[in-house]
Formats: sequence, structure tokens, C-alpha cells
Amino acid sequence: MTELLIKNGFVFDPSNGINGEKMDIAIKNGKIVESVNERKAKKIDATGLTVMPGGVDIHTHIAGAEVNTGRLMRPEDHVKDVVRKTAITRSGVGYSVPSTFVTGYRYSKMGYTTIMNPSMPPLEAKHTHEELNDTPLLDKASYPLLGDWWFVLEYLSKGNLAECAKYVAWMMGTSKGYAIKIVNPGGLESWGFGRNVHSIDDEVKNFCITPREIMCGLAKVNKMLNLPHSIHLHTNNLGLPGNYITTLETMKALESVATDDKPVAHITHLQFSSFAGEGWGSMHSAAEEISNYINSHSHITFDMGQVIFTDTTTMTADGPFEYTLYELSGHKWVNSDVETETSGGIIPFHYKRNNAVNTTQWSIGLELALMIKDPWKMFMTTDHPNGGPFSAYPKIIAWLTSKKARSATLKRCSKKGQKRSLLPTIDRELSLYELAIVTRAGQAKALGLASKGHLGVGADADIAIYNVNPEKIDIAKTYKKVRRAFGNAAYTIKDGKIAVKDGEVVQHVDGKTMWCDVQTAEPVKIDDEMKRKFKEYWTVEYDNYPVYDHYLKVPSPIIVKADV
Amino acid sequence: MIVLTPLKKFKFPVYAECINPDVFQNKSIAEIAVLPVYEGNKQKKLGELFKIEENPAETPNITINGDVGEVRRIGEGMKNGEILINGNAGMHLGEKMSGGKITVNGNAGGWTGSDMKGGIIEIHGDASDYLASPYRGTSKGMHGGKITVDGKVGSDSACYMHGGVIKIKGDAGPFLGFSMSDGVIHVAKNAATRLGANMRGGKIIVSGFVEEVLPTFTIDNVKPKVKIDDTESVQGPFYVFLGDLAEKGSGKVFVSKANNPHMRTYEKFL
Amino acid sequence: MPIVKSVVCPICGCLCDDIEVTVENNEVVKMKNGCAICESKFLGYKGEHRVHQPMIRKDGKLVPVSMDEAVHKAAETLANANYPILYGWSSTSCEAQRIGVELAEELGGVLDNTSVVCHGPSILGIQEVGIPTCTLGQIRHRADLIIYWGCDPWSAHPRHLERYTSFTEGKFEKSEWKAYMQKVKAHAGQKKIESAERRGFVKYHPHAHTQACLVSGAPQTLKKEGRKLIVIDVRKSMTAEMADYFIQVEPNKDYELMQALRALVRDQELDVDKVAGVPVEYLEEVADALVNCEFGVIFFGMGLTQTAGKFRNIEVAISLVRDLNRRTKFAIMPMRGHFNVAGANVVSAWQSGYPFGVDFSLGYPRYNPGETTCMDVLLRDENDASLVIAADPGANFPKRAVENMVKHPLIVIDPHMNATAMLADILFPSAFVGIEVEGTAYRMDSVPLPLKKVVEPPEGILSDEEILKKILEEVRVIKSQKTEAA
Repeated sequence: MTELLIKNGFVFDPSNGINGEKMDIAIKNGKIVESVNERKAKKIDATGLTVMPGGVDIHTHIAGAEVNTGRLMRPEDHVKDVVRKTAITRSGVGYSVPSTFVTGYRYSKMGYTTIMNPSMPPLEAKHTHEELNDTPLLDKASYPLLGDWWFVLEYLSKGNLAECAKYVAWMMGTSKGYAIKIVNPGGLESWGFGRNVHSIDDEVKNFCITPREIMCGLAKVNKMLNLPHSIHLHTNNLGLPGNYITTLETMKALESVATDDKPVAHITHLQFSSFAGEGWGSMHSAAEEISNYINSHSHITFDMGQVIFTDTTTMTADGPFEYTLYELSGHKWVNSDVETETSGGIIPFHYKRNNAVNTTQWSIGLELALMIKDPWKMFMTTDHPNGGPFSAYPKIIAWLTSKKARSATLKRCSKKGQKRSLLPTIDRELSLYELAIVTRAGQAKALGLASKGHLGVGADADIAIYNVNPEKIDIAKTYKKVRRAFGNAAYTIKDGKIAVKDGEVVQHVDGKTMWCDVQTAEPVKIDDEMKRKFKEYWTVEYDNYPVYDHYLKVPSPIIVKADV
Repeated sequence: MIVLTPLKKFKFPVYAECINPDVFQNKSIAEIAVLPVYEGNKQKKLGELFKIEENPAETPNITINGDVGEVRRIGEGMKNGEILINGNAGMHLGEKMSGGKITVNGNAGGWTGSDMKGGIIEIHGDASDYLASPYRGTSKGMHGGKITVDGKVGSDSACYMHGGVIKIKGDAGPFLGFSMSDGVIHVAKNAATRLGANMRGGKIIVSGFVEEVLPTFTIDNVKPKVKIDDTESVQGPFYVFLGDLAEKGSGKVFVSKANNPHMRTYEKFL
Repeated sequence: MPIVKSVVCPICGCLCDDIEVTVENNEVVKMKNGCAICESKFLGYKGEHRVHQPMIRKDGKLVPVSMDEAVHKAAETLANANYPILYGWSSTSCEAQRIGVELAEELGGVLDNTSVVCHGPSILGIQEVGIPTCTLGQIRHRADLIIYWGCDPWSAHPRHLERYTSFTEGKFEKSEWKAYMQKVKAHAGQKKIESAERRGFVKYHPHAHTQACLVSGAPQTLKKEGRKLIVIDVRKSMTAEMADYFIQVEPNKDYELMQALRALVRDQELDVDKVAGVPVEYLEEVADALVNCEFGVIFFGMGLTQTAGKFRNIEVAISLVRDLNRRTKFAIMPMRGHFNVAGANVVSAWQSGYPFGVDFSLGYPRYNPGETTCMDVLLRDENDASLVIAADPGANFPKRAVENMVKHPLIVIDPHMNATAMLADILFPSAFVGIEVEGTAYRMDSVPLPLKKVVEPPEGILSDEEILKKILEEVRVIKSQKTEAA
């Protein structure tokens, strides 16, 4: 069938220890193979080009109820970035909340092939999957929000880990989800009545449980279920000056769950959780304290949540935090609480260069990234669109690989922010090898995606080829070229098909939707008792709640055998 | 300099942002004739929809003779030069303009002068809704420049205004100056309800009849006259209302005392 | 006789999903749990107005034709149009709506749905100020103050109160049904006494007469325990009869009332004595009730979206709720009418970025209500062909818009010979979504639900999705032939 041969490129495949070797990559039937018939195969001449596994984004809000409300309420964001229909591609709009087709095209143009939608309220999971179906050229998965789910709160407060695990397994299959997402644990349920939690030991009203117990409980459940990814955690007190203490306490609390060297928690958009200071006036970076901790422990991975200086849209399940942003900015604010499960909020936000706090935020993301010694713990994201649109990733790549790029941006920022920034003391510049880890190999490993993020035999043929010749250019010096190259892939190959060439989409490919089919020894009994409880807790019938198979255009279930 | 005459009565919407002195500058008639426009869903050339001729006079730079009520975005973003329209003009006339002058001897469509930064727009007929109001979802409107309308204006005009001057010789529709924060609006005749709703700053002056002001406006004092801009003042006396309290605003609404006897009840608060 | 359970009712925005349908010989014979409107649809949809074959108007009369002929003529008409409109979409499935977006994009036309005559203003309001909202379950569990403003759920969304608000049991709040029944009994008892007095059986006692519901008195009833219900309307609707407090607002003055409440909630003083016909002291007490509740919610309808002020009414209502969130927890929600108008907005937004009024004529989606909404396009007579599906503009649109619509070819897809179908030039009969065809629909709080198929559609009747796919395919064939010829 279809055979493809990528010849003579500089290959960066950290999972297999390959660091810029000139080699050929052979593809057959959508997988990487040992070799193909060179005469028959279609050839791509990658001489002088960088070849990496396709990009993997561990945390990007691109589908579902919240994202769509963001789209609906910001026509003024769309009108500045229109996308015309072509013979192969649909029309749409972009900028901070692109329409679904445009999301797929733009990620693919940057060489990305797998993305994770991190916030899915299970009640509205069908909506998330419908939008993922309309996001072309990418493989995708979604994380159901479980940290404030009444079932979890009730079973954990009774200390009943096994029952909790059974229901989490059931929910993973019912919502066709991939990992356990926890946001401001305890805070979302409290927000149901307009309240919040302020420390990991605050008791959640009406439920006799603390955030510490929720996080540790679910981390243990995660282990019992053998889920491929660890718990995916958005910490309490996000976005508040001085919150790094909560973040440290959170990481310490999870130490007890770790029994080996494998991570037990992934802290997402860590930048927002690394603020020191007593108020906005004295707010400064706690990147040093946080990175010191992470450097000396092995149970945590994280992603940056990098801020970009632009007008973007924030959207998270952290309802109380979004309300705080409304109080600070006065912008139009959406709140969207979901019964029994979670909360949510959306508000446009403009990160400004001349604002000291925003400058510090921008700096913190990069400080965290560069102060972590082991790049396998650290991943590049903007928490799209919270920190900025994903289309700004090439800018972050330039900042990570070039001190010159960082300085050029920093010197145009607020003087106060410049003085506070730790970046002038940091000389580290990531190499292409390390870049491949933090944008693809590391993310795939943390997600437990065995066939993604690497170019070994048996991997999915998801490959990105960039116009960067490591022998000819110094990526730290010519960062503008690097930015352009990573923004317009020379080739993006998806499932062995050429999806993008020279930064333009040339072929439509339907990606797969991955989900975990968790098999426990005893599955949850769906009896009349369960159905009755269902009716009490939700306003929909049990039968109408699950995401049935036909909701996924191209399903890709991953069988997971639980230890419970 | 250039005279455009529509070759037919347009049924489908025509988008012609190329009709702009900055775009026409230094172009020959042949080059102007092939500028792209849209008619409905078909891309066309300007010369297919308009007769294009040269006029020896220096100004106005562009004259349009005929009804262009279906032609949208004329003068969009223009920085200098003059456009004269002898007929009705379509939506988005002079949108985002920062300089120059547009005159319409006829009526103007919706969103005329939307997001204006500078320059002059003179409408000798009526203006439709959303005069000088920005795009949906934006909270910053007209920033500078001057708009005069001889006839009446529709609803939701001058929303989010934060600079510039608007003079309306006829009546104004509801929600004039919604959420305005700076700038001056004068209505020579009557203004409809919800005048200055959500106002935070700026001035609205009505010389005619106002049925009522919002309950979230309080009477401040009576002024004998008020300044519109450096060239013009209006004779009162005027009741001066401060508001909008719902937004903790300090906008001022001046309402003619003589033409609003029913507002005498407010005098007890002075 | 098979009973199908957990059927989702395809009528109004409540999208009740606990309906039980008994089917015999491909007919619905019995229903359980549905309201009167639901039952009448499930039991009566096969009426005499059903269309059984595709039709084309020839010499002024609609005559039956084959599906292929109708598809070809429809596709040809649309492919050759310079500015076609594709309107409706609210009573069909998301699967069909997605084809609609693709078709509008392919044609370079205007895609619009019934929001434009219904809750479009609500969307415009959200685009100005956002919206603090939640799913209906949050109301059921937590709300102790429920306000219906400018809507009458008892008539239009009959099971709303019993499923989601006052008369339902939540985790933190109880149902008010018993208290309401006692009030009704007291009222009935009172009426008996009055009738006896009139007939002279009982002596007349003027002091014994108390009103069961207040129209213009102070809100004493808001001081009670348990869930409270306030109705604000221009007339005493059926829902108002049940309210703990009813505010009769002067027509077209809702904006003033809400703006005044915003100021009162911020503890500001007003100069005036009355707003919208309501004394300010009563409003101050209402403001206290709003601020002191645990969780309040405002549901609103056409009383706000279609009266003077339109989307600004919604904007100020949302601003009021947003201001209240400084003091307590408050939400606001539009009472969506058709069962899948929310879905039409959702699908349109994710595929094109905009929820309605999407104009594809320039090759990319554009949105500007007043410019790109099809009602305005029709009033200005700018279009030259129309496709109407799952809606009835022939009955709902202003006269001039309908007159302009029929000046040009009109293609209609509908199960019934409704007013619009009677004006059609090409008519496609379709199957009922939620009865004969399955699909997804979105509830008024944007929760997606799977509609079921309980019976087979009549012979030869296709679903909306299938018909649209055929038209889209044929349009592509015709367009590629045109480009080849060119």
C-alpha cells in the first residue's frame, strides 16, 4: 500500500536517543517500519531539514462547551483573522478561539499531530466529541473533569478508594475520556454557592473532604486503574500572589502516593501557580523555589502555561478564578457551572508588555522551563488560549532556544517587570534535541502514548519536517528563522500521509479520538438503584448520559487493565 | 478627480472598500477599473459595476453620482482625500477612517463612521442605526473626528464613544451614546428613550423633547448654555443630569428646559 | 408492545428526556410523563398535513416528482444563486445542521436560524457582557430564588417548574409543590366563601378577603422559608398565578426596571418614586431579596428579547445578575423555544465561529446582525433564492419579508405542509427528528442529548440530513461542471 521514505534528514528522536543523526525514515500503512522498497515508495528529500516526531500538545482548550461559548461571545476576536475556503479546506476564523477546522489546520501547519483537550465536563462530553470530530489532521483525546464530581467527593470522604476507582473507570468509558482532570479541587463545588477554598486543607462545605484528600485519593485511584497518564492537576489558589506555597504543599502532599520513580501528578500551566508576593504590587516570581523542588523530586511533571503579550481569551473550569479576573479587568464575563460535576468561566484578557505583573508572568513561564534540569519533566504549552493562542508556539520555541530572543522581548517590557525577571541570570538555551523532548517526546511519554512522540519502528507515522539545518544555522543566533521554520512546517505527515507541505494544507486526514477503556475486575452495576441515584443527581436520564460509540468519528479505544 | 456612476441598480450587496482616495491615488483609470469588488457571492471588477471617468477638478478625489445604498465599506480606513456621494450610501461608510472628508447628499446606511479616529463625515439626509458604533462585542467606539447629520439617526448610535463630536439636526433613536466615556453629541430635535444608558463620561445635549431619562440619572443643576466644541455652543437653559449610576458613571446629559416641562418635577431635588 | 424509555421529547427547549413511548405496529399508541404539547406531537404528527412526496411547482401548482428531479432542480437553483439564504434549522438534528453549514459555505450564501426571531437578542447581549449561567441541575439543587421575567413557562415550557425549578427536589433545596397546593386549596376555599356570600348563604366579611397573589402590594411573601418564586410580566400570566410575588411592569419599560434594580443592588439612591409603574420602596425590598438569597436565577423570554430595547434588555438583565454575583450567587438563562435552536447556534459557532446570521458570500464567514441576518436580507430584497428547513418563516416573518421571499425560488424541507411549504417552489418531505430519525439536540442550557428513533418514517421519506447531503453533492457536481465549461 502507501509507502513513504523520508531521506537524509537530521533526525531528532529523543525517545530512541537519536540526536541529529542523518538517517532515513521509512513509512508503510501509516506506521514507521524498518525499510520500504525504495524504488516504489514516494520519496521526500529531507536533506538539510530537521525531522522530528509530530508535535504533541498535552493541554490545549480547543473543543467543547466552554470553548464554544468563548467562540460565540467573541465575534470581535474572529473578525481580525478570517480564513478562506479552498478546494481542500473549510473556511473559518482564527485568533484566540479559532473555529474547529482552522484549529486542525493551524496545528498541522506547525507540525503538530496529537493534541489533548484538557477540560471536559462529563455531562457535556458529547459536545466535546462532536467538536473533536470536526478538528481535522490531528489525533486527539479529552480529560473528563472529576475533581469535584459528587461521586468522587462522596466515596473519597468515606475513604472508599475501591468504589471510587470503579466509578472513575466507569466515567472514563462513559465520557470516552483519557485522563483524570482535577481543577481547583474543592473550589468548584464551593463555587456552586459562590464560595472557594483557600488552602489544601480547607473543608469543602457539605462534603466533609479537603482538597488534599481529593488529590491524594484520585492519585491513588489513578494508580489502581493503571491509567496511562497521571492525574492532570490545576492547583488551588491559581493566579493569586503568594500561591507558590499552595503549589509546594500540593506537590509535597502527593509525595506519599509515589511508590517508584514514575510521576503521580502532572501540574498544568505551572506559571499561573508560581507567584510569590503578598499582593499585586509585590508580586514576583517563585520559579526558583518551585523548580528547586521539582529538580529534587521525580513524582511531578508539568507544562509551562506560557503567557504571550496579546489580547486573548481565558477559559478554565476554575469558576472562582475567572470571577477574580472579572473583578480585576471588568471585561465581559461568562460563568458556566455544570450540575454535579464542575464549574467554568471565560473572560477575555489582554497581557500587556508595559504591565509589570504580565511581564513577570511572561518571565515565570520561561524561568520554570529553563531552570528544570531534566527536560523530560517539562512541556511547552500556553494553556491555549489562556496564556495566548497556540499559533504563538514558534515564539516560545525561539525564547527557549535563544537567549538573544528572550532579551529582545524583555527589554521592551515594563521596567519594573524587567528588574524582577530572573531571565538575565539564565543563559541556558535548549538544543533541538531538548526541544524535541519538551514539544513531543516528553509529552507523549507522560501521556503514556506508546506509539506517539518518537520515530522508532512501530510508531504511528506522525512526523514533522522543519526548514532548519542544524549544521548551517546557529538556532540561538538566528532565532527569527527558527520562529518561521517552526511556524510553517516543510512537511507534516499524519498517518503516513502528507497533510501539510511548505506550511499549506494539501490533504485532508481524519484524526482518531483516543479514549481509555478501563477494565476493572467488577464493573459498576447499572441497576435500578444506580439509575435512581442518577436521576437525583443529574437532570438527565442514565440512558441519555453516556457518549455512545457513534459519537466518535474515528474511535481509538485503549484497553487499560485496572488493579481493582 | 474620479467620477463613478453605477451601471445599474444593485440588488445584491456590493463590497467596495477599494473606493477610497488612498487606494485610487496614483492609479490610472485602467488600474482603477480592475480593482476587486464583490457583488453577492461573485468576485467582480470595479469597472464592471461602475462607469469610471476622470474629472479635471482636483477635489473631491472621488465623486459618486447615483444610488449606492447597496455599496458597503466606501471610504473604509481612509486617511486623507475627499469623497462626495450624490445619492444614498451603503453600510460601513467611512468605517475606521482617520482623516479626510466624506459628504453624502442622501441617506447613509448602518455603521456609518464606525470606529472613526479622525476626519469628517457629513450626511445631508438621514443616518441609519449604529452611527459611529463599533463592531459587535467591542467596547471601544468612535475615538475622534466629526460627524454631522442633517436628518435623523436610528437607534444605538455613538455606542462606546470615547472622543470626537457628533451633531444631529433631526431626531435621535433610542440608546444614543450607550456606554459612552468621552466625546460630545448634540441633538437639535428630540431624543428617544434610554438616552446615555450605561454612560461613564462625555456629554449628550438635547435641544428638543426627551420623554424621560433613565431612573439611574440624577439631576445636578441647570446650565444656561453648553459648549459642543471649539466652534459652537448651544443656548439653554438645560437641566443637567449625571449618570449612569448603574455604572458609577459621571456622564452628563443636558436636556432643554423649555421643551421638557414635564421634567420640572426634578427641580425639587436641586 | 414495546415501551421505549428515556425518550427525549423534540418540542421545546426543556428537552425532557424521561418520556416513555409505547409503540404498536409502527404507531405511537401511548405516552407517559410528557406534557400536553409533547403528547399531542407524538400522537398527532401523522396528521393530514404530512407531505408524502417531493414536489415542484409547475404552472402555479405543486405536483409530485421524483427525488432525483427535485434534488437536481434545488441544487441547480442554489448553485446559480448570487446571494441565497439558508434559514431555519431549529427543529432538526445537529447532524443535519452540520451539513447546512457546509452547504451554505459551498454556495457562498447566508446561513441563519430562528434565533433571529427569538433569542438572537440574548446572544447579542452575551456578546456585549458575557453571561453568568449554569446547567439546569444547578438550579434544581441550589436555587432558593427563582425569577421568570417576560416568559410564561406554564404555557410555553410546561414541565420547566416541575423538572428544574420551584417544584423539584434538589440536594440543597426542597420542592415548593406542597406549599403551592396549600395556596391553591386556600384560594379555592376562598372562592367558595365568596360565592356563598354572593348568594347570601354567608354574611359578607370585607376583611376576610385577602388576595392569593399580590399584584401591586409590597413583597411580604418573599420573607418565607424555602424556594421563592417571583414573576415579572406585563400581565398576570398562568405562571404569575403561582408566584410568591408578581411584579406587573409597564409594557416596554423592563430596561428601566432592571437598570434601577442594578443601582439599588449597589445601595444607591434614586431620584424617582416609581420605575416602570412599580413603587421604588417595593423595588428596594425586591433588591434585598435578590441580595440575600443563597442562589438566585432569572429565566427570561420574549418579553425581554422582543420588546423595546431588545438585546439591550438582555444586556442589562445580564449586568444585573453579574452585579449580584458580587454579593451572592446568581445565574441567568434564556428560555430557548425550539428544541434545537441552541444546537443550531452551537454547531454554527464551532464550524464558522458565529452562532447565526453567518454570511459566506465573500469566501469566509462574516457576522453582523442587521447586515447578514436573513430577516434583514429579505426586508431589503437582496437575496435571489431561499432554502428553508425545520422552521416556518411563512407564518412567523413580517409580511414584507415573506413577500420578498416568494419573489424568488423557494426550496422547503419539512415534514408538514406548513405555511412556508405552501409557498414553496420545490418541496422535500422529511422525517421527524426525535420520532422517526435519531440525532443530537442541545437543551436550553446547552446540554447535548441523544434523540431517539421510536418508529420508522413513512416509505420514501428521508431525514433532513440525507436530503441535505444529496443536495450538497449535486451542487458540487453542478459547480465543477461550470468550472470545467468556463
